[in-house]
Amino acid sequence: MAVHQLIPSFVAGDASGQAALHLQWLLRRLGHHGELYAGEVGPGLDSLAHPVSALRPRPDDLVLYHHGIASPLSSRLLHLPCRRGVVFHNISPARFYPGTPLAEALVTGRAQLAAMAPFVDVALGVSDYNCAELREAGYRNVHTVPLFVEPSRFSESCADPALRQRLSGPGPVVLSVSRVAPHKRFEDLLALHAELLKVRPEARLLLVGGYEPGSRYFKSLQRTARGLSGVHFLGRLSHTELVAAYRSASVFVSMSEHEGFGVPLIEAMAAEVPVLAYAAAAVPETLGGAGIAFDQKHFSFLAELVVEVCENHEMRQRLLQGQARRLEDFSAEASQRALARALGEEQPPKRRKPPAKKKPRVGLVVQRYGEVTGGAERHAQQIVEHLSPHWELTVLTTTAKNHLSWESAFPPGEEREGRVRVLRFPVTRVRHIRPFNALSKQVFDRCNERLREEHWVAEQGPVCPGLLEHLDTHRADYDGFVFFTYLYAPTVWGLPMVADRALLVPTAHDEPPIRFGVYADVFERPRALLCNTPEEAELIGRYYPDHAPARVVGVGVDVPEKAQPERFREKHGLRNPYLLYVGRLEAGKGLPELLSHHRALKERFHDAPDLVLAGEAHMELRGEGVRYVGRISEQDKYDALAGALAVVVPSRFESLSLLTLEAFASGTPVLVNGHSEVLVGQVERSQAGRTYTCLDSFITGLREVGEERGALSRRARAYATRYTWPRVVDAYREEMEHIVREKSR
Amino acid sequence: MKLMGRDIPARELLARIEERLRTRGLPSSESVEVPSEGVEPRVEPFAFNLQALEEHADTTRPLPLHTHRGGAGQLVLVAKWAFRKTCQVLINETLARQRVFNGHVRDSYAQLSAEVVRLRREVESLRAAAPPPPSSSPEAPDRPRRQSPSAARPPSGKSGKN
Repeated sequence: MAVHQLIPSFVAGDASGQAALHLQWLLRRLGHHGELYAGEVGPGLDSLAHPVSALRPRPDDLVLYHHGIASPLSSRLLHLPCRRGVVFHNISPARFYPGTPLAEALVTGRAQLAAMAPFVDVALGVSDYNCAELREAGYRNVHTVPLFVEPSRFSESCADPALRQRLSGPGPVVLSVSRVAPHKRFEDLLALHAELLKVRPEARLLLVGGYEPGSRYFKSLQRTARGLSGVHFLGRLSHTELVAAYRSASVFVSMSEHEGFGVPLIEAMAAEVPVLAYAAAAVPETLGGAGIAFDQKHFSFLAELVVEVCENHEMRQRLLQGQARRLEDFSAEASQRALARALGEEQPPKRRKPPAKKKPRVGLVVQRYGEVTGGAERHAQQIVEHLSPHWELTVLTTTAKNHLSWESAFPPGEEREGRVRVLRFPVTRVRHIRPFNALSKQVFDRCNERLREEHWVAEQGPVCPGLLEHLDTHRADYDGFVFFTYLYAPTVWGLPMVADRALLVPTAHDEPPIRFGVYADVFERPRALLCNTPEEAELIGRYYPDHAPARVVGVGVDVPEKAQPERFREKHGLRNPYLLYVGRLEAGKGLPELLSHHRALKERFHDAPDLVLAGEAHMELRGEGVRYVGRISEQDKYDALAGALAVVVPSRFESLSLLTLEAFASGTPVLVNGHSEVLVGQVERSQAGRTYTCLDSFITGLREVGEERGALSRRARAYATRYTWPRVVDAYREEMEHIVREKSR
Repeated sequence: MKLMGRDIPARELLARIEERLRTRGLPSSESVEVPSEGVEPRVEPFAFNLQALEEHADTTRPLPLHTHRGGAGQLVLVAKWAFRKTCQVLINETLARQRVFNGHVRDSYAQLSAEVVRLRREVESLRAAAPPPPSSSPEAPDRPRRQSPSAARPPSGKSGKN
């Protein structure tokens, strides 16, 4: 069953958009695929949300509509030919806005809420308070599914250092976070600050939240603030700036007179700031006994209370510990349990014993498959070839051939490759690499909110909703799944849907996105990780200490018995000794650095070897002695490997380097990028190559390889014998057997 | 004043702060019960929509002049007021047909919603008058069960060849 979500507005920084994204995450964990549809889609976010006009639910689908203030989407929901649900985020009472146009929109929102009640199968409130309002409005099947935060995104390391520095200074520092609206009672915060200044003249008040500079309400606040020292209207902040504000505060204060939940209360808990809040509407429920709730706005009293919370260290510690305990109730796991109850899915599905002696039915999910260039894809193909005698295999992949644009090149649908069924699903979004690289620059090497990371994953692609739908609707047809490559959207979004019977071949290397929180489920939820090298397993452990059990499996290497170097030389007219690289020829693989080193080598030494490059080129390849031979056959590759002086592996990002192993199996030493832990590990373990990190070490390494080629070649062959297919096949079968046994239990 | 929180010695803290306020010559707080704020009442959609249609059907009537902005916003209000004062005849002429149309929408909605309310009541009274449905037991399934070959055979003597 697909669970789609309908939301009036999906823009960055919007709380209900964040809630929809969180819900989509939890729904995937429960095995449901589903898309977001919004009345307004923020600029650049169309990879995450579609316009409402594109919503075409099937009769057994569920559409969850996020309701707040009046929206025409409520009428649309009533006429959708499917199961319907409402997620209620509450509506500010109209009494705070008498005589304004907003008042009518607020009351209209409540009328729409009541009008939808008879047409809705399930209603979700984000708090018990909201659920009470849903019942009052006439809803019956009502469930509380609380909002949640990811505490790791509010840690000190996520704080913007520049703002943190700017906000450092004397205290106490009182912080409040919410949009500037009359019912949030910013005037009360200023009154509290005025009292606080009497007892602590250096006190500061930080006010975070969007405001309209010209609004009468904001201007009146500014007028009041002018008479006080230390008041800072910080406006709307980015996530890292928001964390900096939280982390700079001594105490968080809410004077709001109406909250349906109060997300900033739990954000403050996550950022380890004591919370003081006026006990209005859902606030006491959200605090749940943590922090301090008060029932009167007696400002001189509250100012003394702020001082007490800031300066009484023992009490402050107790408050923070209590808040940390309360925060556990607002975790993704807690909300997932509540959502499962609401959807009637808290019982795991009954398991049937599979018929004995049948081959396990396994789905292998990979972003591209067939005649494509790519290490991970080649790896997946080899696994398919070697495991097809043992498993009933279906390859679940996309129609994409080009890994940069993901343009569809293969026809969608089913095809047969011997014993293996290949199902291709269309890619719905072409990637434009320049804007994608610009986005990467914005999000890499910094802490982001989930929206930004999900946006990056969607832009990374390949976006393939059909594949996710297949996992949702046909999961019972498979005993287990093997996902290839942690990085791509089919794995990030698909693996959590079937995590309890999934193996992941991460092919991970140390690159910025591996640190994104959205990848936690990918590494932590499958049944096992099948890594290529000890370095890869160690890397995963460094970023995800709670990762699934990891096992170093790698691949096997087959070398044709008759490699004929002369045949390759003749075919391509090669007369000089040559260095060889085979693979994708693009900047990300370190080719520019290699070309530059080779150019310098040619300039310095008249007898420098040529550089032979084979594979799919995505960049210009020029230079003296540089020979581009295009894509080559397997036989040509092994002929080329056997005849090379050395194989060069210039990439910094490798999880295995099949090329290195193939070179070793051919008895050819390697010269590898010393910035890659994996490549360094391979060279250290084999003692059959050299590493380089700069031009000098490149030249030195090459000289040593030339001088010791015979000895290096012998070591290379000896090391390659460790990589045999029977050992790899046994490891995969053993791990899948565990899943099948568990499934039938 | 009442302080709520599991992790604070509320009474002791209250007393300490009140003592400080007294020292500073400020009035201390008095203990009151937390106001039991109920949830917002249901807004009956039919009645609300009808009232809203009535309120806004006449497009020639101006909306109350309002701005949430200060400064330039006030000037805009004056301009709006002046436009209304001087151009009301033009407004009436331009929006006359819309006004008639809205009137029909309002009346149609009123009639249809009244009919829905009447039908709902009727359904409720019919449901109340109907005898309760027989309690379903495992022996009386909704769907016919697949019969075993022996059970499918007709009882001897009652059927068979006519």
